[in-house]
Amino acid sequence: MYKYSEKDKSIIESRTKQFKNQVQRRLNGQLSEEEFKPLRLMNGLYLQLHAYMLRVAIPYGELSSSQLRKLAFIAEKFDRGYGHFTTRQNIQFNWPKLPDVPDILHELSKVEMHAIQTSGNCIRNISSDHLAGITIDEIEDPRPWCEIIRQWSTFHPEFSFLPRKFKIAVIGSKKDRAAMLVHDIGLRLIKKDKEIGFEVFVGGGQGRTPIIAKKIKNFLQKKDLLNYLEAILNTYNQEGRRDNIYKARIKILVKELGIEKFKLLVDENFKKLSDKNLEIDKVSIDKIFSFFTLPELKPNSHKVQIHKNKEYNEWVTQNTLSHKVSGYSIVHISLKSANHPPGDISSQQMMALSKISEDFSFSEIRVTHEQNLILPHVENKNIYKLWIELKKLSLATPNIGLISDTICCPGMDYCALATARSIPISQKISNHFKSFSDQKILGDLKIKISGCINACGHHHVGNIGILGLDRNGQEFYQITLGGSAKEDASIGEIVGPSFPESKLIDAINTILNTYKKNKKKKTEDFLSVFRRVGIKEFKKDLYDNT
Amino acid sequence: MIILNKRHEKENEYKKINDRDFLDRKFFDGAILNLAQWVEIKKEFKNKKVKIGIEFSSNECSSSNESSMSEISLIQIKFETFKDGRPFTFARNLRKKYGYKGEIRATGHILPDQYIFLIRCGFDSVEIAESDKDIWIEFLNMDNGLYYQP
Ligand code: SF4
Repeated sequence: MYKYSEKDKSIIESRTKQFKNQVQRRLNGQLSEEEFKPLRLMNGLYLQLHAYMLRVAIPYGELSSSQLRKLAFIAEKFDRGYGHFTTRQNIQFNWPKLPDVPDILHELSKVEMHAIQTSGNCIRNISSDHLAGITIDEIEDPRPWCEIIRQWSTFHPEFSFLPRKFKIAVIGSKKDRAAMLVHDIGLRLIKKDKEIGFEVFVGGGQGRTPIIAKKIKNFLQKKDLLNYLEAILNTYNQEGRRDNIYKARIKILVKELGIEKFKLLVDENFKKLSDKNLEIDKVSIDKIFSFFTLPELKPNSHKVQIHKNKEYNEWVTQNTLSHKVSGYSIVHISLKSANHPPGDISSQQMMALSKISEDFSFSEIRVTHEQNLILPHVENKNIYKLWIELKKLSLATPNIGLISDTICCPGMDYCALATARSIPISQKISNHFKSFSDQKILGDLKIKISGCINACGHHHVGNIGILGLDRNGQEFYQITLGGSAKEDASIGEIVGPSFPESKLIDAINTILNTYKKNKKKKTEDFLSVFRRVGIKEFKKDLYDNT
Repeated sequence: MIILNKRHEKENEYKKINDRDFLDRKFFDGAILNLAQWVEIKKEFKNKKVKIGIEFSSNECSSSNESSMSEISLIQIKFETFKDGRPFTFARNLRKKYGYKGEIRATGHILPDQYIFLIRCGFDSVEIAESDKDIWIEFLNMDNGLYYQP
């Protein structure tokens, strides 16, 4: 894992001091709320429906056991005893008090954490593949590159007041587990004639104008990465629209100019502005890479034990994957039990999990963009013991990738922008599709739910997407089908008129029946069937007899 | 209002030209023209030996208004709102793409929290209320010179 250098430490410390000063000025009226807003946002502090919300960065989703313990402590001391993991691998606290925030940031800095650039119109926390460095299908570990970009983008003097927020994802495999194609910039490590470099995508995004990112560069040399990012950001900062918040993301600029014209501007900036000092040399690359080595794993031939216990077997099939080192597994911890909002975790659970990660997974934990956690390196021979421990904590729900593993935004329960509730919908789905065998028949299926058109719940890229709307004071839910956030990314199509909450589960059932009926073989998943038969079939079954 | 150059207050040698003087083409030393005025007289100005400045509103900080401005001794950028980040790129491009050597000054709605960013993007000075001087300097003093970018 990355360890802070002295420089990182003093930068974070001085930031914490600066923010203390800003909070003080706000509290005694020297700063208006309007002026304070972008400053607090740059420190991850939002004003929500009921209170402030603090979003803490978990760079590329990696946590140590001591960091998780600190998050548990903060949830307990400054919040209401829980935290919420987000779709960008961060954690949110929903109830901090403004005067406490500088203290929280100080506590975080003790474990090398912060809330910098988790909100506001700047370059946000860099996200990545939650299986980085532990999966066989990888060309190169993307995490060191995320760290290089994290450093470069932190307090960038030129790019801290962009037209809108800016999200970057880096992946190292052909498989996309980070929704890279719906980011403002997506980077994929690829190999060309023995050289590893980046394929660069730009202008992806969700919100009210969902767009899949376009490729802007087939192959970018590693040394040029930061200069090329600067060229893109420089173009965006000047040409991006500032007259309309809904048209301010880079995706709109790319769309309005066309990718070819946009590319010309970027190339020209790249030529004219490239700075030798921003080129990354091999020594600094190697240095960053040295932080991301595997712990001392001992390859062995142990297989995951089979057990008489049916529940355990279900969990093993659904929640574990093989590690690239033989004898080890990657264990998913689902935060999607039927009784809790997706992504929520209590401070007791965090505390216990921190200890579990020390006992079973070399003190490492990861956060996935699907709002679950991972223990990255568990010895196969310990899997059963681990399951017992997780079960005691209600953290052994066997549903990774299944219908009840929904992604869901906070919606009307917390969010000031919401037009409908989303958490209760996800809970209804989880309760309705509780049985493991029923879920297994439905196979890989992603339901994603947003409480408004801003799409924080990624509904556009859900195989089944659900969007909460307000119709004359009543909640309605619009369904989209066929979205995907993977390497074959696509935006879902609206199936037809929306449904009131009372009819929603029935509608989902009808959709699933259409799927089952059209399935050609047992393993054909929802998305493949949808892509083969098209939306018409689904429409017919949903609306024709009503 | 005062002019702050890093930690030091300095005399303001510039003043906006009024319409009368502009019409009469009386370009005194230290006259600030707005962008439209500058565009109008650009050609005839070439040989004049006076020191003039141009004021850009942050709305005008687009790449189409970037050019070589070597004959101008002050470029003043007026932030319509501190949230408008275009001037940061504009200033940096003037320095890097066009090698502009004169003074770049920020005025309008700016915050002390932005002081270090401004300087690092190529601004030399800021125009601020006299009563804010201490806090601007305080923010500069918080800078420990450690940055991730060159
Ligand atoms: S999608 Fe809308 S309701 Fe949900 S968190 Fe985002 S802004 Fe709030």
